Amino acid sequence: MVRLKNRYLLVNILYPELEDRKGKTKVPDIVEFNQPTTDAFTAGALLKGLKAEIADVFGDYGSGAISESLNVKYLSPATSTFILRVSRAYYKLAWAALSLMTSVPVKDGKNCVFRVVRVSGTIRKAEEEAIRRARELILKAR
Amino acid sequence: MLYDLNVPWSMDQYHPHQQRTISFLSELGYDTLALNHTITGSLPAAIINPIPAVPSFEIPKKTVLLRRCTLNIVDPSQNYRLPALAAVYDILALRPTTEKAFLAACLSLDSHSIISLDLTQRFSFHFKPKPLMTAINRGIMIEICYSQSMDTSGDGSSARRNFIGNVVAIVRATKGRGLVVSSGAQSVLGVRAPADVLNLLDVWGLKKERGLESLGVNPRGVVVNEGLRRTSFRGVVDVVEGG
Repeated sequence: MVRLKNRYLLVNILYPELEDRKGKTKVPDIVEFNQPTTDAFTAGALLKGLKAEIADVFGDYGSGAISESLNVKYLSPATSTFILRVSRAYYKLAWAALSLMTSVPVKDGKNCVFRVVRVSGTIRKAEEEAIRRARELILKAR
Repeated sequence: MLYDLNVPWSMDQYHPHQQRTISFLSELGYDTLALNHTITGSLPAAIINPIPAVPSFEIPKKTVLLRRCTLNIVDPSQNYRLPALAAVYDILALRPTTEKAFLAACLSLDSHSIISLDLTQRFSFHFKPKPLMTAINRGIMIEICYSQSMDTSGDGSSARRNFIGNVVAIVRATKGRGLVVSSGAQSVLGVRAPADVLNLLDVWGLKKERGLESLGVNPRGVVVNEGLRRTSFRGVVDVVEGG
């Protein structure tokens, strides 16, 4: 009864916006969608940006509800993937806030789309899914 | 099969952007898309479909593109030549801006299959179950464009507040049935994956089961019905090539 239950969200950052490639070779769309993210995107920046968004959309109620449990468990700017931990009771709030965010929460952050690809009760399954997806992406991008 | 029945199209749109939007939607899992041409004001004398039947750019293999028109109606007693409009497009939707027009669209008008309201506005009337359910029982679905909730430009994001309030009211009045959810995304950044959309709807009061219906079953109903209306005699007799 006293065990705190969490949900681990595996999130991809996608960049669907067209950008002027200035004459470089044409890359397939799927590779452009899954671009790497700037190194300025740290766990701290993500938490700050997400908390600001939750405060904006859900106000003090949302901020208070997730404050104890919100944590970034894994972050890879290179693969534009991160795993977020939220308490089970309020993970939908955090997920909704992520969906409503429109740009990377760093200074002059690019416009992007946050897509939650897996919700899991354990971090192990989220990690396995991340590995599986990375593999799939390499095959798709060939 | 997931549907996105509102991908805004305009005459002077930049083709690579449109292609990008379609490519992104296809990547996220939406198979059938409807390019939506919005008409406000009066109709031209000769009604033609400006959306090209075959896209001038490449689209992903499994994507099906339909052509849709959304007509703003203000006064239902005015003759909008709806049957003529419906004949030219694959899907016809109405956007009533007054209560009279809304009631007419729900109860009496016939040629359309979607009622799409601009949910970022405050409406002077309440959404009552009776007219909405009458419309749904006639086969007319109510549309919710989720990208309007991401519109935070200017005016203290009252757009988002109005949108959520209206969505909550519509879900309450219809009990979640007869809804069609689509992106309505003006740019490719307003598009979200189906799981994200379902979660947003869940937060706003539409349970996952109904949400899934509104992404798959209901839009399919609209597309099939509109197809039947145009090709066969009341869905009973159809002329088929071959044999």
